[in-house]
Amino acid sequence: MIKLVNTIIETKDLKKYFNTLKGPCKAVNKVNLKIKEGETFGLVGESGCGKSTLVRTILKLIEPTSGQIFLDGVDITDYKKKQLMALRKKMSLVFQDPHSSLNPRMTVFDTLSRPLRIHNLTKNNQETMIEITKLLKLMGMQPEHMIRFPHELSGGQKQRIGIARALAVKPELIFLDEPTSALDVSVQTKILKLLNKTKKIRDLTYFYISHDINLIRVVSDRIGVMYLGQIVEIGKVDLIYNNPIHPYTKGLFASVPEPDPDKKIKGEPLSGEVPSPVNPPMGCSFAPRCPFVGPKCREEKPQLKLLSDGRRVACHKDNLK
Amino acid sequence: MSKLLDINDLKVYFNTEEGVVKALAGVNFKIDKGSFHGLIGETGCGKSVTGLSILKLLDNNALIEGGKIIYKDENLLDKTEKQMQRDFRGNEIAMIFQDPGSSLNPVFTIQDQIQESVKMYKKASKQEYRNIVIEELKKVKLPDVEGLLDKYPHQLSGGMKQRVMIAMMLACNPNLLIADEPTTALDVSIQAQFLQVLKNLKEKFDMTVLYITHDLAVVSEICDYVSVMYAGRIVENVPVRELFKNPIHPYSYKLVHSVLGVKTLLENLEEIPGSVPRLIDPPSGCRFHPRCEEATDICKTKIPQLKKIGKNHYVACHRR
Repeated sequence: MIKLVNTIIETKDLKKYFNTLKGPCKAVNKVNLKIKEGETFGLVGESGCGKSTLVRTILKLIEPTSGQIFLDGVDITDYKKKQLMALRKKMSLVFQDPHSSLNPRMTVFDTLSRPLRIHNLTKNNQETMIEITKLLKLMGMQPEHMIRFPHELSGGQKQRIGIARALAVKPELIFLDEPTSALDVSVQTKILKLLNKTKKIRDLTYFYISHDINLIRVVSDRIGVMYLGQIVEIGKVDLIYNNPIHPYTKGLFASVPEPDPDKKIKGEPLSGEVPSPVNPPMGCSFAPRCPFVGPKCREEKPQLKLLSDGRRVACHKDNLK
Repeated sequence: MSKLLDINDLKVYFNTEEGVVKALAGVNFKIDKGSFHGLIGETGCGKSVTGLSILKLLDNNALIEGGKIIYKDENLLDKTEKQMQRDFRGNEIAMIFQDPGSSLNPVFTIQDQIQESVKMYKKASKQEYRNIVIEELKKVKLPDVEGLLDKYPHQLSGGMKQRVMIAMMLACNPNLLIADEPTTALDVSIQAQFLQVLKNLKEKFDMTVLYITHDLAVVSEICDYVSVMYAGRIVENVPVRELFKNPIHPYSYKLVHSVLGVKTLLENLEEIPGSVPRLIDPPSGCRFHPRCEEATDICKTKIPQLKKIGKNHYVACHRR
């Protein structure tokens, strides 16, 4: 127990397989992760790599196939409905698309009062009003927004309500699933700054998921790079961005266009496409696209290895640098 | 360089139940032959409407209120539907759309869909059509071309579908390609591959491209020249290097400084106060004035016109 004091979430060999007609789809395949209290962790990967499934599994919105999940050192893998209620107060989720994650027939007041009522956080209507006013103020919105319906709000305002809903239960940890990908760049900046400020005020831990590599770099302390259900590289954000080691991380980062006309992408940094998670490659899942592939890579799955600078990389290559 | 397309004061309105939406209120830009022209702006600023107007593919409730679209000395707005279909769409100007999944027909094979456009201008035997289609698919560097021919769109990944779209459009040999957010639905690694294909094609076939996007990083990657659009008007026409080094219009400035790059810090990012105006009831004068920190009285009353401020550099702002 003692060694887990700082760790808010830990997963051990977490797996989530979905049954499909063609066989099990290995969406999350043996993920080991530790999230420390107070940090911002960023999980980056391309669509279909299992980012969202991983988060949904950790939140127990879907049942894991195998492995364990610990919250504050307590194994929550087998928690059932009633026990989960308490857990929902500790972790919450902000969804990707604010247009579809708010109920169009509920006013802002209805949306925000629901978590308060379900968890008995306020005793009467007046207290609820006060609490919601506080939340709206924190989000830079006015009390009169309370009676608005989602269609009367702009995209950025809707996402603020999405964040306020996640904050309503006073959680310790918030998962942010692509919180700005449906928004324009000018609005994105506002939301990111707002999230940053809120984190300090409320003493939160953030778990970002995004396919936007520069966004993850800007917000995170530590990042994990996910490919086909597995984490291939994990460590401090500056280390990985300044010198990506895993061949996939390298290719992925080199694919990102820079907003500078004098810096161009050279050729095709990553050839081929992501294989199907229903039938992943036998050995390293990146082997079919890897420029440095060797015979061992096709037979044996690489495990995350600790390097001298503190990061972990899952690659068979010798002297990783 | 000669002009291929010249859009002059284009105005397009839409009749809706709530009133008239003034989607385009004076769009001005020229595309040089052989250039990669970016059209950039945020959601709802009228980028796509501009692209669709060039091909006259607008919905029935659209009214073209004024302006000219000069393509090779001919005003496209004077053309009838029949002339557009026969002389321009496909063989002169082609367009690819944002979501490759929904722009391909799910019940026809890849070969059927590509050869349909070939059939428009060429009579040939079955085998010849097949060979033409194979050639087109090879140009966009698709793997295992023969195997692809009889596949249906759902059997292909997003990146492959978008390449099929390009192959389809290449089959007619157009002079101008309008690409409307072609990589928005794709992952970065697939996007990088796609941009590479586009760059190669442009060099090989001397194509002219109008690239519509909201992604400034992509613009810096492939475009030579950029038109920045805000709420239905062009606010700045600028060579791409100038846009990133020296954006003049306050909106362009904010936009360029809100993009995340390799070295940006969250604190240094610019935000634009307020939100995009509703085009049913747009602000008077300069449409950006309610969100502009430098706005004065003249900005509220008078519409700023594009004026030349440097080589190939035009800005519509009273304060510059």
